[in-house]
Amino acid sequence: MEKVIGLVTCNYSAKESSPLNESRPMASLPYFGRFRLVDFAMSNFVNCGIRTMGIVMPYNYRSIIDHVGSGKEWGLDRKNGGLFILPGSAFGTSRTGARFLLRDLVHNKVYFTRSTSDAVFFSTANFVYNVDLDKVYEAHKASGADVTVLTKTASEKDADVTAFDVEDGRVCGVHHGTTFGETMFLDCFVINRQLLLDMFDWYAATDYLDLFEAMAGDFGRVNVRTYDFDGYVAPIFNKRAYFRANMDVLDPKVAAELFPSDRPILTKAHDTPPAKFEIGSHVCNSAASSGDRIYGSVSDSILGRNVIIEAGATVRNSIVMQGCVVKSGARVENAIVDRGNVVPAGTELRGTPEDVLIKEKAH
Amino acid sequence: MSKKECIAMLLAGGQGSRLGALTSNVAKPAVSFGGKFRIIDFALSNCANSGITTVGVLTQYRPYLLHSYIGTGSAWNLDDRNGGVSILPPYATQTGGAWYEGTADAVTQNLGYIEQNDPEYVLILSGDQLYRMDYDDMLANHKRNNADLTIAVMPVPWEEASRFGILTAEDDGRITKFTEKPKQPDSNLASMGIYIFNADLLVETLKEDANDKNSSHDFGGDIIPKLLGDGKRLFTYKFEGFWRDVGTISSYHETSMDLLGPNPDFDIFSTTFPIMSNSSTRPPAFVGKDGNIDDCLVANGCQVLGSVKHSILSTDAYVGERATVVDSVLLPGAKVKDGARVVRAILGENSVVEENVSVGSVDTTKDTAVIGNDVVVGKGEN
Repeated sequence: MEKVIGLVTCNYSAKESSPLNESRPMASLPYFGRFRLVDFAMSNFVNCGIRTMGIVMPYNYRSIIDHVGSGKEWGLDRKNGGLFILPGSAFGTSRTGARFLLRDLVHNKVYFTRSTSDAVFFSTANFVYNVDLDKVYEAHKASGADVTVLTKTASEKDADVTAFDVEDGRVCGVHHGTTFGETMFLDCFVINRQLLLDMFDWYAATDYLDLFEAMAGDFGRVNVRTYDFDGYVAPIFNKRAYFRANMDVLDPKVAAELFPSDRPILTKAHDTPPAKFEIGSHVCNSAASSGDRIYGSVSDSILGRNVIIEAGATVRNSIVMQGCVVKSGARVENAIVDRGNVVPAGTELRGTPEDVLIKEKAH
Repeated sequence: MSKKECIAMLLAGGQGSRLGALTSNVAKPAVSFGGKFRIIDFALSNCANSGITTVGVLTQYRPYLLHSYIGTGSAWNLDDRNGGVSILPPYATQTGGAWYEGTADAVTQNLGYIEQNDPEYVLILSGDQLYRMDYDDMLANHKRNNADLTIAVMPVPWEEASRFGILTAEDDGRITKFTEKPKQPDSNLASMGIYIFNADLLVETLKEDANDKNSSHDFGGDIIPKLLGDGKRLFTYKFEGFWRDVGTISSYHETSMDLLGPNPDFDIFSTTFPIMSNSSTRPPAFVGKDGNIDDCLVANGCQVLGSVKHSILSTDAYVGERATVVDSVLLPGAKVKDGARVVRAILGENSVVEENVSVGSVDTTKDTAVIGNDVVVGKGEN
């Protein structure tokens, strides 16, 4: 898709604050052991042939830059096009729910004016799904829409997800928060580039709004159509959704859908050896990343890179992130243990299945 | 090492015919090892970890996978503006062209590469050995000894010395004698095939050797004896760490198994001298509800639904329900389907063992079973 460029927005925060996203932008939340949430948006773009991609950064961008680097892992370290790191405004983190903040787009107008592309794909970095965007773009061209939004019927309530009012596949209204049965916005859309530039002028006075909020009164004039995605989708804006979306991948069907080898989710590579399951270890229904050393017992859990589970330690129904050590005799259950923690010998970290305990990142 | 003080010439053209089915369609340096590595990772990582940024890789046999794996060298931080990795296959000239006829001939045919880089020293390496070595330390030794040629050596058990090229040296390390596979060795220092030459001497010697009709153009067989005869200053550099040449199926299998157990001799987990690799991005390894893994290395992308013991599962390997794998190595993408049984075997890349089929035998007097790359083993075939 040479005629299309991409933009990933990372300059927003979730309504619910948690120790997981206080210390890092949502985009760089670790996911399923070795990934970060932003990998999905970037990989979906790259897998459909997009080779020019901007990323709008939040103020605390260190971990995102560390992760994406020059974009090499996504094939974006290019002479023509490639990765563009774009500054976001301070307004982005104000928990307004705006994820395509007009101000952030207008301030980076040059990214769009310098391009000769026909269209621009947008995505946030907080949804987990693997989609063939080629099909979305084909549908966009075939329907003659100005904007095509990726959607799915909501199966539950989520205060952070945007919902559309839709009639015959055409969007006629937008509101924050979805309930069961509504058309939820998967935070990914394609828009014709010239129209986008026009909108910057139309909505110049209201640049503190989300693009779709600004558009709300214009759905008669702007033809916004939906493209229904029927694959696995997980919006990740709160602790509960985060935990569940990780655990979902322990179902091989979900794993196969998210990580097919012909449409890989790309991420930063590390030089860590394969996971070592030592003599006497017991691991079931779990995922282990490279560099792990497991001597103890692990079930229904996900281990990030370079995790050590000592002999006699037990990890159940938990996420243990990169670089953690669970010492001998320690017990971790229904918990999310953020990066770099050492769980001392004989101690316990325990939440409930309904309310998992979060052990914040070690500093 | 400063820029271009020393460049490396990495010999990676060998077929490795004794690895049989494992090298039927890839060169030996490209054979997968240790779950996520390929054999050449060790030499390339040693170069990177030793500060050598100019590496010529001499390829010949089945080079496609090797070339694409090396790529720009960026996986080993060797995509350096000033040098980096150069792949050096045999080439045609106005007067024809020739295959590399021996280790020395391969380098002779690329003297242009050496002259263009104009280094003071040239490090000659093999792309098919497993070890960690700081070549910078070896170079420091070379300079301290004011040597013309330094050869890395390691002590081998006396009873095995007659299988190696054996060097006899004085107390200060100066080499007095070199014998290829001596019947009655007077030393147990074996050449590792790792050399540092003064570049000028190397160029001069190789040019002479090229015109010598009686030479087999081999470093061990021709170049070293010649320099020794000429009275040049040849020194040993003693290495005492883990070193393996996985030249045969049984040594490949044994060395793989050496990575397992509680305290393996070769620590692939060391972070101070990391082994780098050009790995693909696959999700973490998954162990199913009835999966059972004991004493194994398991790479990303693996799915284990059955039982695996004392084995290595490389990237994207699959072990189905009720399947058992013991004392084996599954290379990338190898599939052991439901109810199959694999014992003391090496399964090639993307090979398949069909449901309920048995491969290999617990009988240690029998050879390790080998299934070639892309081979499917069905019922009644094994």
